[in-house]
Amino acid sequence: MNANAGVMAAADMFVGNPFSTRHTRPGAIPPLDSAGRPVDVAALCAQLAFKGGSAAIVGAHGSGKTTLLEALAREFERAGIPAGRVRLRARRDAVQVLRAILCSPAGAVLCVDSWERMVPVAAGLVRLVARAVGCNLLVTTHRPTALPTLVVCATTPRLLAAIVDRLPGLEQRGGEVIADVDIEAAFRNHAGNIRESLYELYDRFEDRTRRPPVRL
Amino acid sequence: MSGSVAGNGVVKVAPRVAMQFDQADRVYEPRRELGIRYHVEGIEPEVVRAIERSMLWYTEGKGEEDLGVHFFERIEDAAKLAQASPTGSFMVALPSSPLSYEGVVVKVRWCVRVRLFFGGGRDFVSEHVFDLGSVPPARGPLGRLE
Repeated sequence: MNANAGVMAAADMFVGNPFSTRHTRPGAIPPLDSAGRPVDVAALCAQLAFKGGSAAIVGAHGSGKTTLLEALAREFERAGIPAGRVRLRARRDAVQVLRAILCSPAGAVLCVDSWERMVPVAAGLVRLVARAVGCNLLVTTHRPTALPTLVVCATTPRLLAAIVDRLPGLEQRGGEVIADVDIEAAFRNHAGNIRESLYELYDRFEDRTRRPPVRL
Repeated sequence: MSGSVAGNGVVKVAPRVAMQFDQADRVYEPRRELGIRYHVEGIEPEVVRAIERSMLWYTEGKGEEDLGVHFFERIEDAAKLAQASPTGSFMVALPSSPLSYEGVVVKVRWCVRVRLFFGGGRDFVSEHVFDLGSVPPARGPLGRLE
């Protein structure tokens, strides 16, 4: 049993599209580096402590920041450290971040997704309040911030291929539906955005499994 | 599957849940009853601390997901647990909706889940899909991406 997974799922047969959100969302696949190798999450947690407990995960859209953030949050929880999660969808969500910090026990980690949506003044205030109450911040952002950078997420076709290899159900089809050339094309079409690449592969899978099989 | 539990109670091999629906094709009309019989293989029954049996629907596709739990039951009591693992059965009256649907952008699926809890916070989920209703699948965007 996979100690890192927490929950293992099994089914008598695979049904559905392997590229659907339920199989690709943060937490469904372990974080992988740009070479497609599993990230050592425990080592990153140790690095975070070395950086003072607060840091940023930096990367472009669809580069795996949220996946890594979720993996780190789970690692903290496994270690008995409370880890809250807030996703910023708009600037006004800064209030939610402040509320979460004030409700967090000392030593907790608050994981904030999409930190770039925070205006600089609010970001400074949040950092001050977090420091005052002893709450650490781990954030994802597109660009480096005032917080130290923990890791920079980058993508490669190899990473996308490694993710696809881990999706359920595809092995039953022996690579007949989605070929390596599709993966490379999806990566290229979306300039390395893994999320959008997976959406394209979802469509391609639907397209090819809803009509008579063709020789690819 | 052979025995899978070490002396310290740690489950080393993933269990397998064999599930038998009372309708062989797993296609059920709304509002009728669905009967399930399952058998847990690959572990010693005594390592199971609790079992959750549920029936739910969920959406599958690109983007946001939704789900609804229609039936849920958690069994922890030792006497009841002995009747629920390794072999157990239950019946659930099905609702009238949402019907199963195999769309392109979104799909609606129904499933029965059996979740086993072990010591040390470990658990194992087995999910088994069935159809509620007989809505024809969407035809799809033929050749859109080729």
